[in-house]
Amino acid sequence: MKSWHRYTITLVGGLAVGLGAAWALTGGGLRDGGIENGPWSTSLGYGTKATDAITRAAVAHGGLLALPAKETIYWSAKTDAAGAKLDGNCRYSLSGTPLDARWWSVTIYDEAGYLVANPANIWSVNGANVALDAKGEWRVTIAPSKPAAGAWLPGTKGQPFHLTLRMYNPGKAFRADPEKALLPQIVKEGC
Amino acid sequence: MRSWLGPLAFGLIVAAATAYAAIWAIPYGLMNVAIERLGQGEINTMSYGNLATPERQPVVRPSPDLAYSSCPYNISDGPIAIDVAPVPGRYTSLSIFDAATDVIFVRNDVEASGKPFRIIVARAGQAVPKGAEVVRTNHDHGIALIRILLKNPAEIGAIDAVRRQSSCGTVTKLK
Repeated sequence: MKSWHRYTITLVGGLAVGLGAAWALTGGGLRDGGIENGPWSTSLGYGTKATDAITRAAVAHGGLLALPAKETIYWSAKTDAAGAKLDGNCRYSLSGTPLDARWWSVTIYDEAGYLVANPANIWSVNGANVALDAKGEWRVTIAPSKPAAGAWLPGTKGQPFHLTLRMYNPGKAFRADPEKALLPQIVKEGC
Repeated sequence: MRSWLGPLAFGLIVAAATAYAAIWAIPYGLMNVAIERLGQGEINTMSYGNLATPERQPVVRPSPDLAYSSCPYNISDGPIAIDVAPVPGRYTSLSIFDAATDVIFVRNDVEASGKPFRIIVARAGQAVPKGAEVVRTNHDHGIALIRILLKNPAEIGAIDAVRRQSSCGTVTKLK
């Protein structure tokens, strides 16, 4: 094999590896943002000129047109409280107290970040449509079939899923210490 | 085997340079795709999108709780004006993104005291109307996006007429 053959092979290989690495490095969606709180992750740098190139590309790849943290904080979860991957075949309890924000919502997406068809046409719950119990807590069941009682966020059988928690106009205290804020619990109840 | 050391080192350098360039280029490429999808070929015009559903997801991770109105813009020939009419009692925001996907302006209904407002988007050096509130950018292209939060999807019918009072277009008068 001639020398230029070897250089051509490694040139093509290098281009392919470089493109693949860039896509993989930025494929974490709105996750891997550096701030962790249980299964939730975010960054306060989304959408700003100050953010680093990898985060900017990751947001473009997984959450294009995201707002900066003062306006909206986007939390993403791929696992439950025990660290297991979120599975559309299973039943989860999603619960919490009202969040320190003007408005909040939790939306269910597939792994690529898109809505998936379900018979109820429900893809999110928000602070305006969840009921608070006597303790001031709300609870939603994520499952492929409708629960006997309570609010339902449909999962899709055979598909893993991600959750995105949006907090519009989060409070100053929340933005000052998001790692310690009380966020919704994601607990697997069965499969 | 030694004859591969040089080519392999070359391949590693190519891979690193390609990854660096691709990470820089991804936001611009995806913004161009979003401009095309949201505007459906229209530029400097406000589109009042239907609510996101599995069948309609022009960008990744859309919120089904939001009514999105979008104005993909191109200011290479002159500034644009964006007029925003907040929906009373509802979170409404205007965010303006440049070609690199960075937010260059954001204002919500509370910051606007619930009142309509006009923003001019212009490149440095472009003439703008006197007294106007101007956002300067280094890029020709981008997207202006208006978000209105809904308590449930059925509200879109009642809110649609109000959100259509928001608009964008090329600035034609400088006075």
